[in-house]
Amino acid sequence: MIRRNCLATACLAATIAFAANARAEDITIGAHMPLTGSLARSGQAFNEGMQVALKVFNESQSKHRIKVTVIDDESQPAKAVTAVEKLASDGAAAIIGGYGSNIVGPASDTSNRLGKVYITGGAVSDELVQRGNKNFFRINNNAGYQRGVEGLIEEVKPNGVSIIASTKEAPMLLAKGLEASLAKKGFKVTLHPFDPAITDFKPIINKVKLQDKSEIIFMSAYENDYVGIIRAAKVLKPPVKAIVGAWSLATPKMYSDFPDLMQNIIGTTFLPFPVEVKDEEGRKFAAVYKEMFGKEIEYASTLAFVETMVLSEALARSADAGTLKSAGLLAEMKTTNRPSPLGRITFNEVGDNPNFALSMGQHRDGKIPLVSPAEFATGKLAYPAVPW
Amino acid sequence: MRSLPALLILAVAIAVPIAFSGNSYVMGLMVSGLIVAGVALAWALLGNLGGMVSFGHAAFFGVGAYTSAILSAKFGLPVPLALLAGACGAALCSIVMLPALRLSGPYFALAILAYAHIFKILATEATSITGGSAGFQRFPPLPTIMGLDLSSRVGSYCLLVVLVAICAAIYLAVKRSHVGTALRAMAESEDATRVVGVNATLLKAWMLLLSAFITGLFGAMNAHIINFLEPDYAFSASWSILPIIAAIFGGYRTILGPVAGAVLIYLFDQIIAKELLPVGHEILLGILLAGMILIAPNGLFGMFQRKTVKGAAHAAA
Repeated sequence: MIRRNCLATACLAATIAFAANARAEDITIGAHMPLTGSLARSGQAFNEGMQVALKVFNESQSKHRIKVTVIDDESQPAKAVTAVEKLASDGAAAIIGGYGSNIVGPASDTSNRLGKVYITGGAVSDELVQRGNKNFFRINNNAGYQRGVEGLIEEVKPNGVSIIASTKEAPMLLAKGLEASLAKKGFKVTLHPFDPAITDFKPIINKVKLQDKSEIIFMSAYENDYVGIIRAAKVLKPPVKAIVGAWSLATPKMYSDFPDLMQNIIGTTFLPFPVEVKDEEGRKFAAVYKEMFGKEIEYASTLAFVETMVLSEALARSADAGTLKSAGLLAEMKTTNRPSPLGRITFNEVGDNPNFALSMGQHRDGKIPLVSPAEFATGKLAYPAVPW
Repeated sequence: MRSLPALLILAVAIAVPIAFSGNSYVMGLMVSGLIVAGVALAWALLGNLGGMVSFGHAAFFGVGAYTSAILSAKFGLPVPLALLAGACGAALCSIVMLPALRLSGPYFALAILAYAHIFKILATEATSITGGSAGFQRFPPLPTIMGLDLSSRVGSYCLLVVLVAICAAIYLAVKRSHVGTALRAMAESEDATRVVGVNATLLKAWMLLLSAFITGLFGAMNAHIINFLEPDYAFSASWSILPIIAAIFGGYRTILGPVAGAVLIYLFDQIIAKELLPVGHEILLGILLAGMILIAPNGLFGMFQRKTVKGAAHAAA
């Protein structure tokens, strides 16, 4: 009898162990990031945020272990397409997209063709959600950036705004959107488009100084452009009261790399620096980020953290339901509805996150307090205030 | 024996889609490699028969791509005709480069590089037509013909293999013709050839047109395969440099050398070099090329031909 009971217990234990093993699942996701090339600075930050998210997710439960394979797309659309093909061929359950609308566009098209869910936090072009790619999801968009900048300008009420914008798709989209909306609200707006190849911004700054005589310069461009524009402004000293920019400007790295240029500069951001997070997930993110990389959270890393968490959770739900190999992941992505360090994340019928909104942060002696909108402010806006 | 490399390449070309049809990554690499092969062939044609080293084939590549994409998207031209129009567009753009034919050696190379930059600026500035630096995305992919979806990786591969083979055949025909003989003589001594009544400038112009036509065709193909264009990508210096590396690696004095060189170099870069050195893998490409030039200045096929000739000589003895 005892022997029979022992045998039954052993069988039960083996069954439970087998069942537990059967449930525990290793899931690999693929990511293409611009680790080299012109967008490398953002790509590195995205990669860091993604790695933190995976550590946080894997440590939060023992049922699923999610791994990521990252391929450097070298900031080139064709290399991103090849990367997606390789990741899909290697069995990636889904793809995390890189940075830049011009790269994410063809890469997500390829992912859609291969039937893989694709999520990005690094592309704002409206065209991306108008294509009807059913596998495409993104957590950020142009409207969120536009709302953040508009709010600041409405608060300070300048006599005019000079928009200096790269003719690349995403910066021009933001610039034209702001030009139209600010003009509608009665602000004098002058748009100065520039070719991404140019590095000398003195002629444009001279126009701002001598013709526009605006109180705010708004830069809709990328990191290298910001540096060029601010350097030129520092030389020519136009009579502006503030210099404002869009993505990847209000970051600790920009201050540590260019301390002489960043003082008082205002840019879109999610969190102040030093990081002050009110929610549990944000605190965990900040702590693990510091532990892994020995620094405070980067702007782009927050986007990558959130997109990776959202995807990981959807993968886990789909795996639990046993639908990962079918269209289950797509369905789970569509049911996403969670708070995050970026605010609530949901996806509408075209895969866009309608809740995306940003605050404005100002570089102040190595710190970045949030200065707009008022309800999220952690510091007072220094205005007028320029880097020189 | 002399046709052995061609038979080998043909066998590999047939075997690849059979073995890898389910692997879109490998097929994608082969497609990209074949596009570089087409441009390398065009570059070698100009370099070998025309005696002109070009650093500006990106101009023809970009013009071909934009012409085809714009004509198919905005004017509704069927894609096969748009591809042909892209090639013709590149050939037409080479006409403005004809004054550069008065130059030779490094002066010609630099002049054509400048032309490439001019076309890139034109594509950037003509925003209403090309979309400017924002890029141009909404144009039709390759069509389905006789049940074969050419926009699939296998379909694109088959089409590219056929196109590369046709271009190689044209190259061979030109090389074996009287024009080819005159061009080879001209490469040895242009003055001496002029003395015997050969219009060297006209022949060079024809080679430039033909080379631009082929490059434009592959540029157009690439546009419809990637379905995205922006000036930085379409006129990227890599469309000038990679074919040169490929042609020299494979042997630019031969016809199959640039083709095999391009596919091998591309696969080496993407599969081996990128795996060994994820960041900055191009350095391995440089080391490989430098080693190849030191060991076999005439490239892989040059080395193969030398061994074949030696073998034949031994056999005859």
